[in-house]
Amino acid sequence: MILLLDIVTTAAILFVVASGLLAIFGVLKIINFAHGAWLTLGGYCAVVTTALGLDPWTALPLAFVAGALLGAITEMVIVRPLYRRPLDAILATWGLGIIIGQLITLWFGRDVQFTPNLLSGTVDIFGASYSIYRLFTIAAALIIGCAFAFLLEGTRLGLSTRAVIMNETLARALGIDVARVRLITFMIGTGLTGLAGVLLTPLTSVDPNMGVGWLIGAFMLVMVAGSSFAALAFACLVFGGAQVLVSTFVSPILGGITVAVLCALVLRVSPKGFSRG
Amino acid sequence: MAERRSSFNIRAWLLAGLAVLALLLVLFGPMFLDRFTLNVLTRSMIYAMLAITVDLLWGFTGVLTFGQAAFFGIGAYAAAMILTHMGASPALIALAFALAIIVPMLVGLVVGWLSFSYKATPLYATVISLVLPIVTTQVVFSGGQWTGSSSGLVGYGTLPFGLVGFFRLAGICLLVLTVAAWFFVRSDAGKLLVAIRDNEARCAYLGLNPQRLKIALTTVLAGVAGLAGFLFANSSGVVAPEITGFVFGTELVIWTALGGRGTIIGPVMGTIGIDYLSANLSGELPFLWNLVIGTLFVAMIILLPNGLAALVAKFLPAKGGAGAMRLTNLAAAGAQLTAPKEEALLSVKDLGKTYGSLKVLEGLDFDIRPGELVSLVGPNGAGKTSLMRCLSDGTEISSGTVRISGQEINGRTPNEIVALGVGRKFQVASVFESLTVADCLRLSLAARHRPSLVTRESDLALPAAALDILRLTGIDRMLERPVADLSHGLKQSLELAMVVALEPRLILLDEPTAGLTKTERTTIGGILQKLTRELGIAAIVVEHDLDFVRTISSRVVVLHQGRLVLDGTVEVVANSELVKTIYSGGAHG
Repeated sequence: MILLLDIVTTAAILFVVASGLLAIFGVLKIINFAHGAWLTLGGYCAVVTTALGLDPWTALPLAFVAGALLGAITEMVIVRPLYRRPLDAILATWGLGIIIGQLITLWFGRDVQFTPNLLSGTVDIFGASYSIYRLFTIAAALIIGCAFAFLLEGTRLGLSTRAVIMNETLARALGIDVARVRLITFMIGTGLTGLAGVLLTPLTSVDPNMGVGWLIGAFMLVMVAGSSFAALAFACLVFGGAQVLVSTFVSPILGGITVAVLCALVLRVSPKGFSRG
Repeated sequence: MAERRSSFNIRAWLLAGLAVLALLLVLFGPMFLDRFTLNVLTRSMIYAMLAITVDLLWGFTGVLTFGQAAFFGIGAYAAAMILTHMGASPALIALAFALAIIVPMLVGLVVGWLSFSYKATPLYATVISLVLPIVTTQVVFSGGQWTGSSSGLVGYGTLPFGLVGFFRLAGICLLVLTVAAWFFVRSDAGKLLVAIRDNEARCAYLGLNPQRLKIALTTVLAGVAGLAGFLFANSSGVVAPEITGFVFGTELVIWTALGGRGTIIGPVMGTIGIDYLSANLSGELPFLWNLVIGTLFVAMIILLPNGLAALVAKFLPAKGGAGAMRLTNLAAAGAQLTAPKEEALLSVKDLGKTYGSLKVLEGLDFDIRPGELVSLVGPNGAGKTSLMRCLSDGTEISSGTVRISGQEINGRTPNEIVALGVGRKFQVASVFESLTVADCLRLSLAARHRPSLVTRESDLALPAAALDILRLTGIDRMLERPVADLSHGLKQSLELAMVVALEPRLILLDEPTAGLTKTERTTIGGILQKLTRELGIAAIVVEHDLDFVRTISSRVVVLHQGRLVLDGTVEVVANSELVKTIYSGGAHG
């Protein structure tokens, strides 16, 4: 039972972490290798709210806004000239990740910071006690997933975005402002990643390199998911599950590389991963 | 020509001078450099060897890789583990040396096989190159006392060279590798790397196997990285998990990018310069220094993708050719002349092609004999290009069979089909934009005549038919020109010459005259008639210009909505009511 909960909550955490990257890759076909830096940024938003004596929950909107603003600058200055050179975009955003990481280090020092838990304590489920916070991540993943579904299916922006995903040239010809769709998508993606960074703080320590460890896992999951959030959820469940099983029954160290290795093998067999289009 | 030749010599002399200077520095440097500098530079020079391997893969071949760190780490660990657990007798050091190269090469072979399959995206190789260092690092961590886990291995016996000896050894190894790489990328075989980066599909349609070439390159360069790892394990006396990791892999890419991808000297200078400065500055301003490097890197990728070397090259005299290129006549293989005229060269049975539920081709049946010039006509969306694709790439066939000279091609990749004697010219000229005309033509021969790894031949022996095309279009006077400078029409003719140089028995041409002037059209038409009537080559030409079709074809095949609706002589088709209705848009459904 605990194992099942571990699988679901691990998948939920992976989904929360990877969704910002997927939003950007799905629409812009650009891999934001500074993803880890935005997670770190979110983590430090939690540090700042604590230092200011604010309620820990205020870190969530703060991280979203900070992430989105920084995302806007990044899209305009760094990503925009590189849409035609996707491999170079990986490198430039990786470089940006270094810059953000060093700026954070210069400001806050390289030491590990601690933040108060958003939700503490455990709850008894089926006779076993389980961390409330881990259960909360399931809700967070569901909220993010549903919000994206609503945004894509229910709004005018979502309609333009889907048009850009399917056929960018045609979308442009129909008068859709592709540059604006890209900018907004990038901002949403990075804002969401900042938010994910806050959500990670109770689970990991906050330090200038906290995001890098999550980058590869998120990147691999997004490669497998293509541009579909449903596929991402599925991939998170399957590979997150495999990670929990390997960590529990084989070795935690091997568990750490399960996601990456399995994703690579899936992509070798089926280059499009779990997405159908 | 004389002037260009002399400017080439200035560059060559400059580089030779640089090499001699480097050799002197390596040999006499220890006399005036302090211990700290010697230590740092030894490490920098080993890293520079890695940067060369990253550059050959990424800068020249276009495969962005973060995995060279892993091969380096595997080599270093293989050596250190032998030296720690078995001892450091001369025989064991030799064993460590051998394993430090062989083990990475074996891993490289597997990684190459994983990364480069037919239809894999370029991003996938990058994905694998990310997974490899992560896996390697975790394996090291879980290796317990065998690998020293997180603290690494230290205190093992090494080659008995001392600080100065290792400095000289690393310097000489780097110098040898630099010179070797410099000759290799300028050789005829080295052009293959750039050709793959420019246009992998064209490589395959010249009968080359780009996947296999990339796997071979990955394997060899993994061995070189392993050698660097062996040097590192010996000179530093310590191996730690970080050297196998993904972050080190990204650093190698950053150094290569800053120095200048696509050059050999750039990454070497970039790596030594940055690593040396890092060692000196990072003590005082650790975070600021990385910030500066990060900022420079981002700015460089966006504004100056070819790195500092490109900036320096602007101030040097222009690159000249290696002297005049001489065209000679290649003795014809003669295979196409002896083929019996009656047997079908191409035989298509019940061919179908579907994309999901969409049927693009359905139930096609036809044969083509040597010497026929068949025009394929039909309105847009009739399936003409899909048919060409199925005939030249067996993996595209959904149902039915296609045989060439009796051999079924279903499931075979383009390069295997080229080997059966099929040449394909694309609708949009598919050539190698960063190479010269002569290099492009030479690549058409590369599948059959193994190109030299070291030198650049000055003779270019082409089949007579290809020479004719070059002479008729005047390309024979532009051999040393970069392809990017050619006009649209000349690129089309160059591609046709490249395809003809393959000496195919069946040639597929997708709208060879699109966008050409009237004169160019007549020239191409004449060439096609000569190829088919005199040399017995069969040709299938997709064409919209019905006047052109009428003058050149011996037979016309009409496609409509994925089906073959008419197959006959020019007269039959030209007078057919059905064709008129199709082209006026009358016959739907």
